[in-house]
Amino acid sequence: MPAIARTYVKAAFLYFIAAFLLGALMTLNTWLGFSRWLRVVYLSQLHLLVVGWITQLAIGVAYWIFPRFRKQQATTPRGSDALAWGVFLSLNAGLLLRFFIEPFHLIGPQPWLAALLSLAGILQAAAALGFGWLVWGRVRSME
Amino acid sequence: MPTTSRVYVKVSIIYLGVGAVLGALLLINRWTPLGSWVLALKVSHVEFLIAGWLTQLILGVAWWLFPPLKIGLRSGEPRAVRRGQAQRGSEPLFWATFACLNLGILLRGIFEPLYVWTRLGTFQVFAALSGLFLLAGAITFVLNMWNRIRALGKD
Repeated sequence: MPAIARTYVKAAFLYFIAAFLLGALMTLNTWLGFSRWLRVVYLSQLHLLVVGWITQLAIGVAYWIFPRFRKQQATTPRGSDALAWGVFLSLNAGLLLRFFIEPFHLIGPQPWLAALLSLAGILQAAAALGFGWLVWGRVRSME
Repeated sequence: MPTTSRVYVKVSIIYLGVGAVLGALLLINRWTPLGSWVLALKVSHVEFLIAGWLTQLILGVAWWLFPPLKIGLRSGEPRAVRRGQAQRGSEPLFWATFACLNLGILLRGIFEPLYVWTRLGTFQVFAALSGLFLLAGAITFVLNMWNRIRALGKD
């Protein structure tokens, strides 16, 4: 497994634990009511699971196992390393930005918080489009 | 990667791009209101990412990589019953899964917001039928793949 794929998968594992930890705290909070923040973190926790864990794992494994480019197609067998790292950074920056900003925006909406949330959405969308660009040519027959 | 899987994976990547752009629009709408119409796209955002991207990618990769069916050698018969692509299961059934899944996703992702915007009953019916197509997609996939979930032996 190449280093970039390992980084994706390890990051996905960390989100997996973080999301379940947060989920446990959220359910405990419904009983014990120790944090107001945990009552508004539902959407962020959902995105940690769907984007940080499942999508990031899928991207990492796809980058690893999809058929590699033929030698005449590209100099690197799995496509541009810079683009692969760019997708990783963009996806995680967007996700973490959303995770830290959204609860505060839900508690007390402010234009600058909304602007940062928009930026988070744009970063994640850029990562999705970048991933599509990165692997499109590798979705091919093995022959 | 077989043609069937390639189609599944490429379509799933398209859904990832569209779903993520819709998500960005929903977040931008909190900062710069684009209009109340944007809120109706939340259903499409979720549907495209969960069913269109993740589920479809998983189905396509499973078809490609799961252990093949037994080749079906029978005692006294030298030729195998299944060879090549047939060892993956029924390809027509896998295309049927693809059709059902994507019909379900598109019916929900397109007609649910259209219904919210227009309140036309016809759109509500189309959106309501989407679940049946998704269910049919799930059932046909499981039936097709069930016997491939096995230990790899010499057969």
